[in-house]
Amino acid sequence: MYRYDEFDHRLVAERAGEFRAQVARRLDGSLTEDEFKPLRLMNGLYLQLHAYMLRVAIPYGTLDGRQMRRLAEIAERWDRGYGHFTTRQNIQFNWPKLKDVPDILDALAEVEMHAIQTSGNCIRNVTSDPLSGVAPEEIEDPRITAELIRQWSTLHPEFTFLGRKFKIAVTGSEHDRTAVMLHDIGLQIVRNEAGEVGYRVLVGGGMGRTPMIAGELRAFLPKADLLRYLEAALRVYNLHGRRDNKFKARIKILVHERGIDSYRDEVEAEFAALDGSDLVVPADEELARITAYFAPPALPEREEAPAVLERVKRQDPGFARWVGQNTHPHRVPGYTAVTVSLKPIGAPPGDATAEQMRAMAEVAERYSADELRVTHEQNVVLPHVALADLYQVYRGLAAVGLDAANRGLVTDIIACPGLDYCALATARSIPVAQEIQKRFASPERQAEIGPLSIKISGCINACGHHHVGHIGILGLDKAGVESYQITLGGDATETAALGQRTGPGFSYDQVPGVIGTLVERYLELRQGRETFLQTYRRVGMEPFKEALYADAA
Amino acid sequence: MAKAFRTSVVTANDLVEGTSVFLGAEGWHADIGRAMLAFTPEEGEGLAALAARFVEDNAVVEPYLVEVALEDGRPVPHLRRERIRASHAPTVAVGAAATPSRAAERRAA
Repeated sequence: MYRYDEFDHRLVAERAGEFRAQVARRLDGSLTEDEFKPLRLMNGLYLQLHAYMLRVAIPYGTLDGRQMRRLAEIAERWDRGYGHFTTRQNIQFNWPKLKDVPDILDALAEVEMHAIQTSGNCIRNVTSDPLSGVAPEEIEDPRITAELIRQWSTLHPEFTFLGRKFKIAVTGSEHDRTAVMLHDIGLQIVRNEAGEVGYRVLVGGGMGRTPMIAGELRAFLPKADLLRYLEAALRVYNLHGRRDNKFKARIKILVHERGIDSYRDEVEAEFAALDGSDLVVPADEELARITAYFAPPALPEREEAPAVLERVKRQDPGFARWVGQNTHPHRVPGYTAVTVSLKPIGAPPGDATAEQMRAMAEVAERYSADELRVTHEQNVVLPHVALADLYQVYRGLAAVGLDAANRGLVTDIIACPGLDYCALATARSIPVAQEIQKRFASPERQAEIGPLSIKISGCINACGHHHVGHIGILGLDKAGVESYQITLGGDATETAALGQRTGPGFSYDQVPGVIGTLVERYLELRQGRETFLQTYRRVGMEPFKEALYADAA
Repeated sequence: MAKAFRTSVVTANDLVEGTSVFLGAEGWHADIGRAMLAFTPEEGEGLAALAARFVEDNAVVEPYLVEVALEDGRPVPHLRRERIRASHAPTVAVGAAATPSRAAERRAA
């Protein structure tokens, strides 16, 4: 686990103190709202439909039991007893009062947490693979790189007021769990032909109203050049990115309009000009220090195939289903990584109550080397669980309703807060997700359907990642009435693709039935154990379109 | 052609609490039922000007007019967004009320 050094402690404490003074000046009228708004946004504080919303950073999605307990405490003391885990591995509190936010930031700082880089037009918190340091195929733990980028980007004077927000993701595995191709810059740790480890650099991906898949900027970047290359890439964007139209200000538009080759030429020229600068990846001592913090925990030797596990699986079919669906291979024999699904049937996707947070913290402390990871799919991972302890973990989670065996299945739905919370939303997302979940609640039915990701956004900004859902749902407002566009074939992984629209939208009440129709058609069409996405890629849009619009034809 | 004016109220967010509030005769209220009504564009401008004074006094932020219908004398926003906002809560159960029944049963036990 990463630990703050003295510099980090001081930086976060000073920032919290600074914001306390700014809030005081706002409350006594010394600052107007126009003056205060950019300051609060730089500290993760938004004003939403019902109240303020505080977005707290969980860098690389990694936290320990103490930090999760603190989030629970904040939820109870200053909010309404729950929080919402987001698609950027953060957590949002929906009801804080302005006067309490400085105390919340102090409480976060005590456990090495903050809200810096969670909003505003800066380099946002870097996201990474929830299976970092766990996945057997991983080349290198991507969080080391993510931490280097954090140190470089935090309060970077040149990049604090970019034309628009800037999101970077890092993955260390070929199988992508970070949506790396949907980021402003995506870094994939790779080996070149000589066996050296470096980065494949991707640029210009993103969702929102103009979704794009990232293109390759560099096939291989030596590790030592990382910060200099990022500096060059950001500098070219900062110089040429549009500032006249916020909808055209992301780097994807710049890359698209200039062409990736032209953009690359400018980045390489800037990179060359930076040669000899002191902006190098810290070698030796500092890098070793960071690397050591992310070193895998010392896991005691445990049974590789504990008899107790098989026996309990036979006795408890629900547990067997959960093990089958919610565990991942671990590089250490006898261990597994567990997904705690925050998608129990009928609950708001990604939400966790204080009680549930404490239960996750307790399970992590006892059975997962005191580590938890937040995923961009709005779930939580316990990265280091011994197979022999799985039943205790399951029971601990089941006691608070977090035993849903649905990771990657039709009910594991990503949904943004939508019109129930968000000032930008044009339609509801959460109740749509809940109705779909209820329709497919049967575990047997879900297993029969197999892997299927449904992602719902309540507006064009696409916080619910609908563009890359196997089935995407986009809620819009049509003359005061909610209308939902459906897209098919999206994919957030290494085979990234943007979903294609089926046709005219559907009403709120129609959506669960529409999803039912699409699933039925898939089951009719599939060959063998083909997944929904494989079937779609084989047969294309037409058969699904026919099923949806046959009556209208 | 200019859009016809519809009966409106003024809403904003309370500076300290962040909650949605509505401008009434005695100040700002959580209950939209206590909001003053504007039946003409001039009355709408008057309410907006009054709200702006509260912004200057740091009582509220981001005021705007919300179109409403009157149902049994009570203002009800035309837009779903504003109806949700006036209700002060999401349309779904949240927090402990939304947790699956097993957890609730355990708490009750």
